[in-house]
Amino acid sequence: MTAKPPFKPESVPVPAKGQADELSGALGLLAEMTRRFADSVEFTAALAAALDSIVSQLGAQAGSLWLVDEEASEIVCEASVGPMRITGLRLPLEKGIVGRCVRDNKCQSVLDVGQDAAFAKSVDQDSGMVTRSLLCAPMSVADRSIGAIELINRLGGDGCFSARDLNILEVLASSASLALTNARMATAAAEHRRVQRELELAAEIQRALLPEPGGSGFPIHAVNVPARTVSGDFFDFLELPGGRIAFCLGDVSGKGMNAAMLMAKTASLYRCLSKTMESPGQLLGLLNDELADTASRGMFVTMAAGVYYSDTGRVVLANAGHEPPLYRDVQGTYHSLEALEPPLGIASGILPPEGYPETELLLAGGSLFIFSDGLTEALTGTGEQLGSGGLKSLFEEFGDESIRAGVEGVMERIGNLEHRDDLTLLGITDRPPGRIALEFSGELLLKYRFAAVAKDLRGMRRALRKALERIGCESLLAADIVSAVDEASQNVIRHAYQQESAGPVELAVERQGEILVFWLRDFASPVDPAVIDAGRDFANVRPGGLGTRFMKELMDEVAFVEPPGGQGNLLKMVKRLS
Amino acid sequence: MQHEVREEDGAVLVAFSGEIDLEHSPKAREVLLECVGGAASVFVDLSRVEYIDSSGVASLVEALQQTRSRGGQLALVSVSASALRVLELARLDKVFTIHESLAEALGGEA
Repeated sequence: MTAKPPFKPESVPVPAKGQADELSGALGLLAEMTRRFADSVEFTAALAAALDSIVSQLGAQAGSLWLVDEEASEIVCEASVGPMRITGLRLPLEKGIVGRCVRDNKCQSVLDVGQDAAFAKSVDQDSGMVTRSLLCAPMSVADRSIGAIELINRLGGDGCFSARDLNILEVLASSASLALTNARMATAAAEHRRVQRELELAAEIQRALLPEPGGSGFPIHAVNVPARTVSGDFFDFLELPGGRIAFCLGDVSGKGMNAAMLMAKTASLYRCLSKTMESPGQLLGLLNDELADTASRGMFVTMAAGVYYSDTGRVVLANAGHEPPLYRDVQGTYHSLEALEPPLGIASGILPPEGYPETELLLAGGSLFIFSDGLTEALTGTGEQLGSGGLKSLFEEFGDESIRAGVEGVMERIGNLEHRDDLTLLGITDRPPGRIALEFSGELLLKYRFAAVAKDLRGMRRALRKALERIGCESLLAADIVSAVDEASQNVIRHAYQQESAGPVELAVERQGEILVFWLRDFASPVDPAVIDAGRDFANVRPGGLGTRFMKELMDEVAFVEPPGGQGNLLKMVKRLS
Repeated sequence: MQHEVREEDGAVLVAFSGEIDLEHSPKAREVLLECVGGAASVFVDLSRVEYIDSSGVASLVEALQQTRSRGGQLALVSVSASALRVLELARLDKVFTIHESLAEALGGEA
């Protein structure tokens, strides 16, 4: 077989100088092509240049480069060299030798095209060129053909392509396809980066819609973790005159950009309305009508909105189809605040003038948690949904933390679980911040939390009686102890919290050998013990004074001691068992 | 806390049961003051009182003071052990007239 000479531009092919030259020419071409594709953002120019080089390298009369148009099931001529200018020509995939090459992902070498039935004669007729022989190599990536390069009529020699020519074309074609795929991926990546930048900008705008965290001791904290860059969830809280704080948490149906935009609209409307409307039920009613009139079809928003009155710890809450918020009372019992009303944006004019129904509750040292369903639907290690039970356990785990540390702790834990939805949690409490736990040196018999309200005393007495029963305390002694602790608790309600707010009270009972120690702790402003001690004139029996006397008579020791961290008041009472 | 009021021979009998604590003493006070406002003789049955605190005792004291200022009388009847313990603690067991039973109270009056 005759060795083929390297191609020299604008010259008739010269006799062979050897295979080494030919190989180095092909390798040089490979390097050149790869470089061009890497540099180029314009594929067509790079493809045309590559084809030009290949045609020259292999000394063909004409060449064409075809790419598959998958949508149309056609191949399209992207570049052509030689007398036949067929760039832009489209052929059905099943037609022609190029089509066969692409379809079968196999090289085609036809020495006499007249003998090959697949040869598309129409091309020849259009170009006026006489095709004698041709070579066709697929451009394939990962066993899939994305196009083909076809060379026609060997110049010089016997006018026929050799098997070696086919090998070289095959290598060049696969190299071209790799370069093209890389270039396509680079373009896709650039586009992806552009979209990502835009999403990040949108996310930044969304984050700007969320309020900054309050300072130390602020009663509300919330965290939003988007599942993707942008979020369909949102929350807000803002301080209003008169010690009011308006707050909300919403979840827009769906995810992605359309949800993010509806979120932005709802959040903006909320912030604007909450400054003038005190009633969260009315506010949600108005939001519903506005969203129903203007929102895209099929999209809706579930939302809970409320107002917290910081002077009393009262919360007024309205709920538009949102996941039931959880209220954890001071004793650690959870109350689910179910809502039967529909989400926002489905239909306008469906609500009475007063809007959504409102629920009222006193935080009384407890906490209220509002969250999106992403939290309860997060998957635990065993693949089960976290559920409201799992969520409550997490709240308990962080129960002694400040509301900020608690909300962030819970969200960090859920963020580490498998989750597909946006995660948003808002917590609100009137419990004093940063409570420092009491430390006990003896055997802890009871730890009981209750709110500083008269109706909570009965539960406290019952718990205390049971704890005393468990250690076999004689019933008269137990009754005396219960009386003393009850009176001390009443003093907390009357004098520490001054019956204004139902703040938290903690009772702890420990046994140190033959003595019982009772710790009663509140988080109100420090109280002057003299105030409680005053007055025991029979003619003027004041309940507070009488109660204090009961305590002193019934206990062996009653004294206010320094509370940990100087927070609130701590009363220590001691009773000897023997 | 529950209560029952009935009249017998011109006297009013009020019986409390359950727990007279900070939550319920306002109600007990209201009931007692109404009774002493409407009758010269009031008997307060504490036999079924399981618990009474200083606020409950204060309501009894207030009712007693009102009765005395009107020249009437108020006596306690069948005081349960736990209520008696609290009255003793308050040193009020000598201030109140305490009858063992209603029969004794009514008999004593006659």
